[in-house]
Amino acid sequence: MTRHSHLLLALAIVLAMPLFMQSGSLASEVLIYALAAMGCNLLLGYTGLLSFGQGIFFGLGSYTIALLLTRWPLPMPLALLAAVAMGSAGAAVVGWIAIRQRGTYFVMLTLAFAQMFYFIAYSLPGLTGGDNGLLDVPRPSLAIAGHTLWPLASPWQYYGFVAALFLLTFWLLRRVCDSVFGRTLLAVRDNEERAAAVGYDLRLLKLQAFVISGAVTGLAGALHAMMTGIAPLSNVEYHTSEMIIVITVIGGTGNLLASVLGAAFYVLLGDWLSTLWPRWLLLLGVVLMVVSLGLQRGLWGLGESLWALLRRKDAAPATPAAEPGAAAPNGGQA
Amino acid sequence: MSIYLLQTINGIGIGMLYFLLAVGLSIVFGLLRFVNFAHGAFYLFGAYFCYQMTRWGWSFWWSLLLAPLAVGAIGWATEKLLLRHVYAKPHEFHILVTVGLALVVQELVILQWGPLGDSVATPELLQGVVMWGSFVYPKYRLFVIGFTAVLAVLLWWLLEGTRLGSAVRAGSESTEMVSLLGMNVFAIFSLVFALGAATAALAGVLAAPIRGAEPFMGIEALGVAFVIVVVGGLGSFSGALVGGLLIGIVQSVMSTLWPEGARIMIYVAMAAVLLLRPHGLLGRKG
Repeated sequence: MTRHSHLLLALAIVLAMPLFMQSGSLASEVLIYALAAMGCNLLLGYTGLLSFGQGIFFGLGSYTIALLLTRWPLPMPLALLAAVAMGSAGAAVVGWIAIRQRGTYFVMLTLAFAQMFYFIAYSLPGLTGGDNGLLDVPRPSLAIAGHTLWPLASPWQYYGFVAALFLLTFWLLRRVCDSVFGRTLLAVRDNEERAAAVGYDLRLLKLQAFVISGAVTGLAGALHAMMTGIAPLSNVEYHTSEMIIVITVIGGTGNLLASVLGAAFYVLLGDWLSTLWPRWLLLLGVVLMVVSLGLQRGLWGLGESLWALLRRKDAAPATPAAEPGAAAPNGGQA
Repeated sequence: MSIYLLQTINGIGIGMLYFLLAVGLSIVFGLLRFVNFAHGAFYLFGAYFCYQMTRWGWSFWWSLLLAPLAVGAIGWATEKLLLRHVYAKPHEFHILVTVGLALVVQELVILQWGPLGDSVATPELLQGVVMWGSFVYPKYRLFVIGFTAVLAVLLWWLLEGTRLGSAVRAGSESTEMVSLLGMNVFAIFSLVFALGAATAALAGVLAAPIRGAEPFMGIEALGVAFVIVVVGGLGSFSGALVGGLLIGIVQSVMSTLWPEGARIMIYVAMAAVLLLRPHGLLGRKG
């Protein structure tokens, strides 16, 4: 598929959600977690780094915007930018230390940092509200010099704002992934030794990927705090990091649209199942095991395989050329 | 000054528990090259099995024996049914399959025992304190130190002095070599994984009278175990011991100086060790 088709598909998803969904908050949540998962995907799918620290950046975004909007009269867009900056600053610090290690050590370090940040947030109630989190986060309208450009009071109005930011971020991330930088990240993912031997500065590349990922995840965290009106301690818990990874993996790695699919699957299924059975996370654990055992390219990969199968039935002679092409974007993951 | 002595001894007690928690993770990694994110779940099971058995009116001592055996059996089955099928896959899938497993265990625990924690009574024999001049110390904590020290020696003997131990150590160098020598590597893998699960459960049982049982203790324990193996060096028995003691003492002494920050300090200690010795205190390179 071409570059533009992905952007058009993202646009189609954004436009379709209001037609099919009852709740604007739920639709916003899908896009917010899609943002967080795309940030995670840039690390996991494009750079080969499995980070359990994504909750840190998500939480930093939430706390930053909550603090700025409740304590200092800063215009909302600036507060949002500050949250993005805090997300990337946190990612720079965590990344700077964690990328000194590779493989399993790296994964364990990111998890240790996630725990550390949780206890810091817990131990500083003056700043973070401790156990209660920060409450009454306002959702001011988008305004310039007193003129309201875009009211955000209703859930669907807010959805429009989130959707615009989502599309912008999606487009920017596509640009990043298609750039020479993005291609180099893929080289790092597929063969780190060779990339180092060719002369790439692995640490710098990984750190840059971390900073971008932290910025996107921080944005997601800030949008989440504005949506729910609180910046809870749970946003920095291990479970948030875990959830972001789960969404990314279930969607499929190495493809940004797959993260949107993963977020839609997780949020909508979770919303539906949690009304039926409060312990639905048990099923999610099972899904995660199934994906690890047999569906390593996630739902997106499953869709691609089914698509290839259908096409094979339609046009039997042309298959040998079509199939490897369809599998190529994720070839390195299998 | 005696407060610091007290806290140091407390720290040794906590540190020995931490060692027990981390050593299984470390051995399993050493042999299987597999980071087990479900390790905290086995600790969680240990604590809850102890809780359930004491509520049935069984003695704590039975749970100290039976809970690790039961969890060891669960670990053994897990390795055979689940983990064996992902060994050949990239390491992120090892992690994800065990993350899924940990999630399932945690939800099962909540399903069975509810989301709120509960306390576990200290066994009657070990209630109260020991007085030794001006030195006063809870009996149960002294027991934990003594018991884990004996276990550490036993584990060390198992790994250094027995045929299983040499197979494990050889297997962590070269799996192929061990299978060429005619040993059933997969049987060893299952056994070692069961042993790792059992030690985690044992740590859970021993910790239960001190901190009670609650569904999210597994994740906290997993974080601590990671810190210890990162500090001590992954795959190293003595690394787990040194790391466990160091982290236990740091946490305990800090809790008198800055109670709110005691749990942060263990991560600060980790960052400091890593910056000085990137492969941990006793870790091998690579």
